[in-house]
Amino acid sequence: MITVEKISKFYGNLKALDAVSFQIGEGEIFGLLGPNGAGKTTTVKILTTLTNPDEGRCLIDGMDVVLNSHQIKSIIAVVPQENNLERELTVYENLLIYGMLHKVKDLRRKISDILNSLDISHKKNSLVNSLSGGLQRRLLLARALLSNPKVLFLDEPSIGLDAHIRRQLWQIIRSIKSEGKTVFLTTHYIEEAEALCDRVGILSHGKLIALGTPEELKREVGEFVVEYLDKEGRSTSSICQKKEEAYEIAKSKNDRVTIRKTNLEDVFVKLTGERILEKDKG
Amino acid sequence: MTDWWPVFLKEMLHFKRKLLRLGYIFSAMMAPIIYLVTFGLGLGKTVTLTEGTDYLTFLLPGLVAMSSMNNSYTWVASALNLSRIYFKTFQILIQSPIKPFSIMIGEVLAGMVKGIFASLLIILVGIFVPSDFSINLIFLLTLILNCFMFASLGLITGMITKSHEDTATYSNFFIMPMAFFSGTFFSIERIPYIFKPIIYIMPLTHTNILIRKSTLDLDGTISLLVIIFYCAIFFCLGARLIANYRE
Repeated sequence: MITVEKISKFYGNLKALDAVSFQIGEGEIFGLLGPNGAGKTTTVKILTTLTNPDEGRCLIDGMDVVLNSHQIKSIIAVVPQENNLERELTVYENLLIYGMLHKVKDLRRKISDILNSLDISHKKNSLVNSLSGGLQRRLLLARALLSNPKVLFLDEPSIGLDAHIRRQLWQIIRSIKSEGKTVFLTTHYIEEAEALCDRVGILSHGKLIALGTPEELKREVGEFVVEYLDKEGRSTSSICQKKEEAYEIAKSKNDRVTIRKTNLEDVFVKLTGERILEKDKG
Repeated sequence: MTDWWPVFLKEMLHFKRKLLRLGYIFSAMMAPIIYLVTFGLGLGKTVTLTEGTDYLTFLLPGLVAMSSMNNSYTWVASALNLSRIYFKTFQILIQSPIKPFSIMIGEVLAGMVKGIFASLLIILVGIFVPSDFSINLIFLLTLILNCFMFASLGLITGMITKSHEDTATYSNFFIMPMAFFSGTFFSIERIPYIFKPIIYIMPLTHTNILIRKSTLDLDGTISLLVIIFYCAIFFCLGARLIANYRE
């Protein structure tokens, strides 16, 4: 469904993307994981026709995003990182305008259906400004789904949401996948990527440094992590391929040793020596 | 063909909300009324025009031209600048499967509505002050073209400015001098000969010439052609900026 071939993007002297390539199959949830400034949003902007790559090309459903941008726009929808709802219009007016722009047939019924399915019909006539952050995020998703897109782009969909609302959002994203839609999401929440994504790409400083299913990536670096305090009292960890190996390391350490399964944050740390994010509280 | 409608509707929904705020109508009327009272009813009594008309009759069409320029231009420039840079709502239009031309039409029509609305307020005031002010077909045509021209120019400004402060800077450099030096408050005949080429480059000068005509003479025809020329240039440039828009 999506093919990205060696795309690069420069902002002045800064190389925001450096020859990034990957493919996403139809009906797949693909997550692009990385810290702030890694190039995730730039990738989304290129794929959603907001900006052009300086090198390389991207195809969606066989169409080039630069050469066939008009056709691409009719099969994709975007939930951007920044809330771009019309804040001084009502929920209904936001959906009405969007639906008209995307030439949605039987629009009034579809708005009603989507408001019901996302449980925001009671806010239909409320101004967007008066909605909570969680409801605004849900409205962004409702707006994107209104045009029944083949590919849905979610740029940091749960940023700023509390854990409860975030999990509700995940349920909705899973139900979107069950309808056969392709979902491309960017996130710096490890838990989100592991909970939702069939496959993950890890971006660091504009380069794609790993690509695969979460399980594959974790297996590659080692499935177990031993966390302990070193002689200076600093928190340290070692990644091991086998459980026995982890036990051996644990035995050699003093107290406060934890053995746990590897997560994508460990993969990122192993590959880059950096962290994606301070420990996610969600 | 009707792809511009949701763009226009969106702006009209915003306009409707603004209209319901009491301060909006007052702010739209305030500057022209101050000019009308200060220059028209105050200083105007001492002014003698070579054309033989009284000053208020001369001033009112100029105020309509100025007000329609200010409101059409400012509405589109500010709305576009804010939606592009701060609220990011312009992305919704750009990522929709509609032609850039449709976005241009929708935004310009919305700017025209605001310009015409502000002009109607001035016309309403004009009816109640003692003058020979009257409205004819040339007046209406000029008003519509003026709104179109400056809404298109506003769109260009909204597309090229990099911050909201830039919009005010452009306004101070281009719109403010035009308001005062292109025949709104005094006849351009009084302007020194050396400055006349600059005055005749200003689009509002031709609006001020044409809007005061009762019949389409040679001067009026030239001004009409100049206005149409500016309309075409500004519109095409604006549509091109939208078509080439990338973040």
